[in-house]
Amino acid sequence: MKRHLVARLSIGLAAALLGASALAQPITWWEHSNPPHNNYSKELIADWNAKNPKTPVQYEFFAMTPYFQKLTAALSTRSAADMFTVIDTLMPSYTTKNTLAPIHPEWLGYKNLDDMKTHYLPGSLDGYIYQGKLYGVPMIAAVFSLYINRKHFIEAGLDPDKDYPRTWDDIGRIGKKLVKMDGSKMTREAFDFAMHSSTWTMWYFNSIIRQYGGEVLDASGKKCTANSEAGVNAMKVRAMFVQEKISDPTVSFATNALPADDLPKGQVSMFITHAGSVAQFGPEVMKDLKVVPYPQVNPQKPVSPVYGFALAVNPQIPEAKQKLVHDLIKFVVKDPKGWYEKTAYPYPASNFLTLPGIEDARKTRYLDVFMQDIRGGRFVQRSPQILEINEAIHRAMERVVLKGENPKASLDQGCKEIDTALAQP
Amino acid sequence: MQSVGPGTLASERRWAVWPGRMSIRSRLRWAGFFFVLPALLHLLIFKFYPLLEAFRLSFYRYDLMSPPVFTGLANYQALWDNPLFHQSFWVSVKYMLGVSVPEWFLALGLALLLNRAMPGRSVIRLAYFFPIAMSQIVVAMVWKFMYHPHGLVNTLLEVFGVGRINWLSTEETALASLIAIGIWRGIPLFGVIYLAGLQSIPKDYYEAAMMDGAGPVRRFIHITIPLLLPTILFVMVISLLSAVKVFLNPLVMTGGGPNGTTKVLPYYIYQTGFAYFRMGEAAAASMVLFVLVFVLTLILLRLLRQGDVK
Amino acid sequence: MSKKQLIRWGGWSITLLTILGIGVTLLPYFWMVSSSLKTGQEVFELPIRWIPRDLQWVNFPAALSRGSFGIYFANSGIVSVLVTAANVLFCSLAGYGLAKFRFPLRDFCFRTILCTLMLPLEIVLVPTFLVVQQLGMVNSLTGIIVPLAVDAFGIFLMRQYIRDLPDSLIEAARLDGCSEFGIFWRIILPNCKPALGALALLSFRDSWDQFLWPFIIASNDALKTFPLGLAQMEGIDSTAYHEIMALAVIGMIPMAILFLFFQRAFVRGIALSGLKE
Repeated sequence: MKRHLVARLSIGLAAALLGASALAQPITWWEHSNPPHNNYSKELIADWNAKNPKTPVQYEFFAMTPYFQKLTAALSTRSAADMFTVIDTLMPSYTTKNTLAPIHPEWLGYKNLDDMKTHYLPGSLDGYIYQGKLYGVPMIAAVFSLYINRKHFIEAGLDPDKDYPRTWDDIGRIGKKLVKMDGSKMTREAFDFAMHSSTWTMWYFNSIIRQYGGEVLDASGKKCTANSEAGVNAMKVRAMFVQEKISDPTVSFATNALPADDLPKGQVSMFITHAGSVAQFGPEVMKDLKVVPYPQVNPQKPVSPVYGFALAVNPQIPEAKQKLVHDLIKFVVKDPKGWYEKTAYPYPASNFLTLPGIEDARKTRYLDVFMQDIRGGRFVQRSPQILEINEAIHRAMERVVLKGENPKASLDQGCKEIDTALAQP
Repeated sequence: MQSVGPGTLASERRWAVWPGRMSIRSRLRWAGFFFVLPALLHLLIFKFYPLLEAFRLSFYRYDLMSPPVFTGLANYQALWDNPLFHQSFWVSVKYMLGVSVPEWFLALGLALLLNRAMPGRSVIRLAYFFPIAMSQIVVAMVWKFMYHPHGLVNTLLEVFGVGRINWLSTEETALASLIAIGIWRGIPLFGVIYLAGLQSIPKDYYEAAMMDGAGPVRRFIHITIPLLLPTILFVMVISLLSAVKVFLNPLVMTGGGPNGTTKVLPYYIYQTGFAYFRMGEAAAASMVLFVLVFVLTLILLRLLRQGDVK
Repeated sequence: MSKKQLIRWGGWSITLLTILGIGVTLLPYFWMVSSSLKTGQEVFELPIRWIPRDLQWVNFPAALSRGSFGIYFANSGIVSVLVTAANVLFCSLAGYGLAKFRFPLRDFCFRTILCTLMLPLEIVLVPTFLVVQQLGMVNSLTGIIVPLAVDAFGIFLMRQYIRDLPDSLIEAARLDGCSEFGIFWRIILPNCKPALGALALLSFRDSWDQFLWPFIIASNDALKTFPLGLAQMEGIDSTAYHEIMALAVIGMIPMAILFLFFQRAFVRGIALSGLKE
């Protein structure tokens, strides 16, 4: 009797499993590596899988830097995931080559694209629109702001709540009081820029040149204008801190693998990094830090760098599956507060600041500051050759900062390289 | 029955006189081919065919996502016109020679050293060959830290009164710093190969020479070097070919900088293809790299005629 | 200076150089191990502390918990063992064929094989991927292993070594009626131990080290190898160097064990191969 029961149960179980797997249509999702972000994604997926056992999600994440190369290789060999996360700066590289499926706002529950835009912060979808169609659904709106070390300010006789810098000149002025030297060795930098990535260099440079009223590329996107007066001024800002001896000239790609290592360690008093650092530093470190708005040339006309990550759909999968992926996207972005709490990145929803429960974060996690910067924020200019442009500017910056080369000469050289790149068909 | 003479050639000749033995001769020859076949097939499929594909692609414009478009020599023209490519080319040449040539001598020195009977030889050998075991990512990270302005190298230099140098961020020193790592990693490997070669030189030659009154230097010049020549050639060629492929260190440690002074050709190629989506141009650059290495190898093989096709 | 004094000076400088050399060689290891036992802050402290304040053994389990490192190590093990075995077998076969036989296509084979040494994988990444895709091996361990199974370097190494083996051994075996493959298996291979040991060691290290190829081929977490896991440790903003070093120490253990193992065989092999001809 017992044996029969066991046999029947096992057959039943096997049949159920077989049946489930026969009907299961997994959806694959690729992301870049970022621990708080990945953990939240996994939570969402566990939830989705419980509710949709027939269409489980297979989630994979990859080391950040090679992730996009892997994506490119996979797209070119038609072996990419059904859904993948992309960064906004690379959107043109993909959209101009038809490697992303257009997003259908109707499948996400909106009437059309304009309707969808009203649900997002003004301008926050622009980075993902190409020729009138949307190609990515953002779930993160990242912005750069200035983090200062309270303790260092107080030690130097400054009030971190009143005396924090608003302009680049302020940083220079205040910085002189914060820097610490041991003979000729700088033991504590007052301020520094990250040097580890040409993308970060562009985020800084792009915002500063706009603060001076210029642009890196002209309106057609085919000519470099970074060596204009605005560009030279922007580069001078960059070089200023080394010259004024509040940044350590020996800090560079080779010494600082990742930027925000120095800030939590107290080796630099003021540093620009993005909103997600709040989660990555943790509450202990954040006790000593304060976030203030991104430094400006003219605080009346603020410009700050924003970027974001969005979910995109693989155009090579059949339409029915694309619809299913849209359901998944809707599911993933349904809880802006959840995204914010887990990743500390603001979410670009238009009603974000008024969501229930957000007030606390506004007080304790500087959300107001980040949102202010987002409102003044602008995406880096769109160009399929963005990576080459970044590289040219980065090299120009290296020449100026590490070698003391003249900014105009350096930018002229950079523009030459950029024009060559843009001349490609 | 003829006796077995030294060397296949002689015996082959003898057997050729006897028509009945022809089958053995061909059996011998074709056996050799079949031994090589599995490896050859594998390399043809997974290395040679992709190489040909890359050659073909160098005449197309290909961004990995749209179909390739034939453009003839446009890619090569673009490379020729691009100063960044020229810079990368010479960086590679400097790196290749900078790493290989010292390796040839230092590795030999190491092998000679370790070939002597001395107390604790096995321990010393172990210590010297250990870097072979270290994975390249770890090497990159460890050395990056050692080259830090406040890192180990500078600390030691300060002890000797020399000032601090920003090794990886100064244009003049960045490449040399990477070359030093390449040599550090290569010496144990080639030392092992030299050592095996040294060990296979029969002792009697040395004994005979010593009885003739030849000193260590003369023994080295007249016995060691000539008999070691195939190994030397091998090390020379392999060290060049290994040095040409390096790209992880510049990628992780300097990002190709400062100002492109460490952007070796493989890095340039990878960036052009995968970051800038100009796969055709990347393929063209890789053909240039290939020709460079091919020519260098040919020169080496010619210069030291011995030991190649024999 | 008299000749004797020269020799004495020479001896001393050689000893000094040896010690310095060992120092230079081993110092990075020391730093690696030392860093793996420090806290994140301590790693970059200057001046450098060689002995950490408190030994942070916790780094090891902490690092391992950051990803499915058990799986990654297992995969790396499988890949490396199989690649090494295939490499040793096929390269010694081919090396023997090139060293001791003359056949019409020999030069062609030699040159083709030489050519394949001259291009790094990064260049031929996409065409190679396409080949693997057509063979249906994408996203599988087979796809990682098979393209790495033969490396031309090994062929040349074995050829180099086998060439020095005396032909008389081979002739004698042939006269005894031994089959060609039997000669290879029973005469050649046993006499190649040092070269085989070196090749095995290097194959293992290179396949253990591979990053780019497994990265492109493997999409599932369950297929990742150790270097991929290590690379993932690099976060967007900060890197736990102390944990990375802990992982690196763990990752070195298989290599270190293999090295010690083959070192003995290497030395023994050399002692045995006293070729008196």
